[in-house]
Amino acid sequence: MSELVPLFVVIPLASAFLIPVIGRFVPWFQKSLTLLVLLFLTILSLSYLFTNTGETLAYKVGGWENVEHVPIAIFLVLDGLSGFIVLIINMLGFLSAFYAVSYINKYTAENNFYALLCLMIAGMNGVALTGDLFNLYVFLEIAVIASYALVAFGIERNQLEASFKYQVLGGIASILILFGVGMIYWLTKTLNFADASTILAQHAGSPTVTFIQVMLVVGFGLKAAMIPFHAWLPDAHSSAPSPISAMLSGVLIKAIGIYALIRLFFNVFTISSEIAIVITTIGALSMVIGGLLALRQWDVKRLFAFSSISQVGYVAMAIGIGMIVIARGGSQTVASLAIAGGLFHLINHAVFKGLLFLNAGAIEYRINTRNLKEMGNLAQFMPWTASTSFGASMSVAGIPPFAGFFSKLLIIIAAIKGGFFFLAALAVLVSVLTISMYMKYQRYAFFNKAHSEDRMKIKDVPFPMAFSMVIMGVLCLIMSLLIFPGVREIILDPAVDVLMKSSAYATTIIGM
Amino acid sequence: MEELNYIILLPVIAGIILFILPEKVKMLKGILSLIIAGITGYFAYMLYVAETGIFKGVFDTSEYATDSVMYKLLNGIEHYWSMNLDSLSQLIVLFIAFFSIIILIYSITSVKREKKLYNFYSYFLITLGCAFGAVLADNLIMFVVFWGILGLTLYKLIKGYDEESSAAANKTLILIAASDVIMIVGIGLVWVINGSYSMSAMNVSTTSGIGVMAFLTLLVGSFTKAGAFPFHTWVPAYAQKAPAASSAYLPASLDKLLGIYFLARLCKDLFVLNEWLTLVLMVIGVVTIIAAVMMALVQHNYKKLLGYHAVSQVGYMIVGFGLGTALGIAAGLFHMINNALYKSGLFLSAGTVEDKTGKENLEDLGGLSKAMPITFFATFIFALSISGIPPLNGFASKWMIYQGIIDFGKEPGIANQLWIIWLALAVLGSALTLASFVKFTSGIFMGQPKEQFKNLKETNFMGWFPMVILAIVCIGFGVVASSVVVPGLFEPIVGPIEYIGIWQSSLVGGLILISIVVGLLIYWIGNFKNFRTVDTYIGGETAGENFDYPSPGFYGTIQNAPFFSVMYKAAEKRWFDVYNLTKSIVLSTGNALSRAQNGILTNYIIWLFVGLLILLIILM
Repeated sequence: MSELVPLFVVIPLASAFLIPVIGRFVPWFQKSLTLLVLLFLTILSLSYLFTNTGETLAYKVGGWENVEHVPIAIFLVLDGLSGFIVLIINMLGFLSAFYAVSYINKYTAENNFYALLCLMIAGMNGVALTGDLFNLYVFLEIAVIASYALVAFGIERNQLEASFKYQVLGGIASILILFGVGMIYWLTKTLNFADASTILAQHAGSPTVTFIQVMLVVGFGLKAAMIPFHAWLPDAHSSAPSPISAMLSGVLIKAIGIYALIRLFFNVFTISSEIAIVITTIGALSMVIGGLLALRQWDVKRLFAFSSISQVGYVAMAIGIGMIVIARGGSQTVASLAIAGGLFHLINHAVFKGLLFLNAGAIEYRINTRNLKEMGNLAQFMPWTASTSFGASMSVAGIPPFAGFFSKLLIIIAAIKGGFFFLAALAVLVSVLTISMYMKYQRYAFFNKAHSEDRMKIKDVPFPMAFSMVIMGVLCLIMSLLIFPGVREIILDPAVDVLMKSSAYATTIIGM
Repeated sequence: MEELNYIILLPVIAGIILFILPEKVKMLKGILSLIIAGITGYFAYMLYVAETGIFKGVFDTSEYATDSVMYKLLNGIEHYWSMNLDSLSQLIVLFIAFFSIIILIYSITSVKREKKLYNFYSYFLITLGCAFGAVLADNLIMFVVFWGILGLTLYKLIKGYDEESSAAANKTLILIAASDVIMIVGIGLVWVINGSYSMSAMNVSTTSGIGVMAFLTLLVGSFTKAGAFPFHTWVPAYAQKAPAASSAYLPASLDKLLGIYFLARLCKDLFVLNEWLTLVLMVIGVVTIIAAVMMALVQHNYKKLLGYHAVSQVGYMIVGFGLGTALGIAAGLFHMINNALYKSGLFLSAGTVEDKTGKENLEDLGGLSKAMPITFFATFIFALSISGIPPLNGFASKWMIYQGIIDFGKEPGIANQLWIIWLALAVLGSALTLASFVKFTSGIFMGQPKEQFKNLKETNFMGWFPMVILAIVCIGFGVVASSVVVPGLFEPIVGPIEYIGIWQSSLVGGLILISIVVGLLIYWIGNFKNFRTVDTYIGGETAGENFDYPSPGFYGTIQNAPFFSVMYKAAEKRWFDVYNLTKSIVLSTGNALSRAQNGILTNYIIWLFVGLLILLIILM
């Protein structure tokens, strides 16, 4: 199956170029092609997870074989963790694109929209699959440049301003990342993850390596919107068209931020407890400050955006706890519990935050406002939007039986078992903040009295939007199954294994 | 023990199926739910008479082929799905089934009229199944899952139709969910101490700091569910705005049963309390009694008044458990059952009154006793019972608590030395309860009938039947308390009880019944036809609305008394409300932080580089 791995990058990249050319002459071409491509890739990633449990598949671009155990080809590697991320990217991409079929009517230039979406997905898939440092940078730039354009898609004053800030800050981060990559190349004379990791292991703890790590933490930390590098996110995520907000908040910050960070720090660098503490600290900071800032927002999409900072902080904190435990040689079960909690929360956040942005889009589509104070009593007129957003809110707030509860449970229990009582207390605090902000959203948007009388006429959203929202709402509920052993073995455990057996990555690739 | 699975899964699955039926056939849904509840009642009885023990692996995964989907999905679930059937959980399961049936009967005609309350019966049944799950679960993880679902259904059983009701619903879910997360911490701490999630295998000492933290965090869950100070504030808000059937079902009966059940598990099985924790429990208990009853005294809205009493009564139970003796725990459990009986009855009658009159405040009501005699008598029984008048059940359990406190004073210990304070405050609380129920019954049922209520009729059979049943049980439990109820229901849980005072409830009850019968006979024989009925005489003026002095007015004296006026004003500003306090702290912190998020790009870039520099300085 390893020949199929490059399809994840090639197909969306090709469609991104085909759409503006052919889509000009053939109506519906852009929509149907995007949907087909993303559906196919979702099925492909699912079939990988179900058939090759935990097995590493590598595709050597150009067919160059390893020479004396030195990998010289550019690798595309599909293992448990990449498969997990690729599944999230393409599944959410498909649902957002389906939603966009009716949502995007209010904009012109549909071709550009779908082309940029495909380009962004190609970039993210590339980041998730690549086994090469420079390719990581290139794919990352493809994804973020597409996202700059998509944030500004409405070309109104706010959108352009948000996109400009995002570009400046994102550009600085990219430079830092490139600088870090260059430093690694200078130090190890190689760009391959596996090869670099064996050489970096000899330099573990040296000031140069620490310096590189700081560059990468700041660079990817900005892409993942960790505090204090988060400032671009609330504007950018709230200004983009809603299906894109769903992709940005649900997927992009994780694929090019969290995923790249953990892939590098687990599989390329040797885990050091200093960096682990840094990641845990900025994770905890993001979690608390993001939550405090979100609670006072009245613009729905800004509220969700700030909450994304907070929730991604949860993920980073959980994974950081796992890193600290591993670095200190603590209990393996605690470390894997923390990492499983983090990854579980990551996929949960992708689904519920994606859904919440789609809900916000649905509300905006019908009553043309994002201000909570101007909504009210929508539950009566938009039952699908109301019920799905209730599911998403309960999931993010961590109420059983929704999936968010279980990931939160894992994270808190892991923090306590690892002896991080203060972090557990912070997690509890933020959990309370989270439920408060989502109850505020529920109350002002769907209950209360209607803001004005002419609301009596509105209908629920058209089928494609409702369909995507319902699917994601159901996912919010049934992803609780991921906690059950049978399902966990297929989706979550392979990803956790990649991180727990952090040196196995290099040996597998070198052995090929 | 297949019943253990059925009793949990049957209501939950039936509830999910009921989502499919449209809202138009609400009556049908109600009847179907009643049938389901009846079947679970049968299971509950089967469990009550069954052998006790720990049942692991009730879910038998070996039935499935090892490569089937079900096997893969459920493999390992027996690790969590373990049930603890002991005399405590048997008792609670039996009463959960009883209350659900009673309240379902009431709801069939009343919920039909609640326009915006969607899927009431679905959530009702899910609540029922999860309540059984929470009581029977032996594994703490499974317990907290069921416990959390109950918070969700609680939220779905109140409707948010305007500002106040949606605020009440929000406050409820936020407080409940916050307590659930805090409980997760407690569960983690228990694991750290004990290395196990199994409740039955636990005996945690509270001598270490971590043990005390574990106890307190789990206690928060129990207190929030039961509605004890300082986590009680959702109860009055919920009671004021929720439909009567919801208030009677969750805050009045099931949440009390569950919260106190968990408290009993904590005090009896999970932890060994040290004397300071006993003191904490006693203080929280009496503060809950007094603070809530003081608030109840000055309410004008009768549903909110009942909500505060739902809090106040919890104080007695906590005092009972704080004593830690067999007598105290039995008294706490007995009071829990009694409270659920009369409090759900009171909510049902309040719901009936509101339904018939459409008024929410005591001032607007009066003189309904003639129009609604059955409701009146039932309410009267409940009111006497909650105020602790013999021979009713409320007296029986309070009397046991008083005895327990006196007995408790004989032992050495910090809390024991102060026994006279606990006793005095508990008795005072009971007196104040009586005072506020005088206002409740006289405000609604006594006095001159108002013009607008002239055509009122008694509620239908489905409306009054549950109340009558509850009233009869209240009387019955009171009269046969010492001879049947306590030895039959509670001694299996706590062991034999020794009373320090002589107490023969049947004798006392019998004497009182005889005296009532004799009194009635005298009344009838003394040719009561000779009584004359005249209008109220007010110095020759015609009696009208303006001569009517509403009963809440009498209680203004308390509100304006020197010390109390300050306290009431503070309470009005919600200074004692954890929810509002936290909310204002959090919001002001958020506002302070948001000044940094000022939209100026240069600042954002400065943060980025400051962050980079700090990291470099720390790590290099």
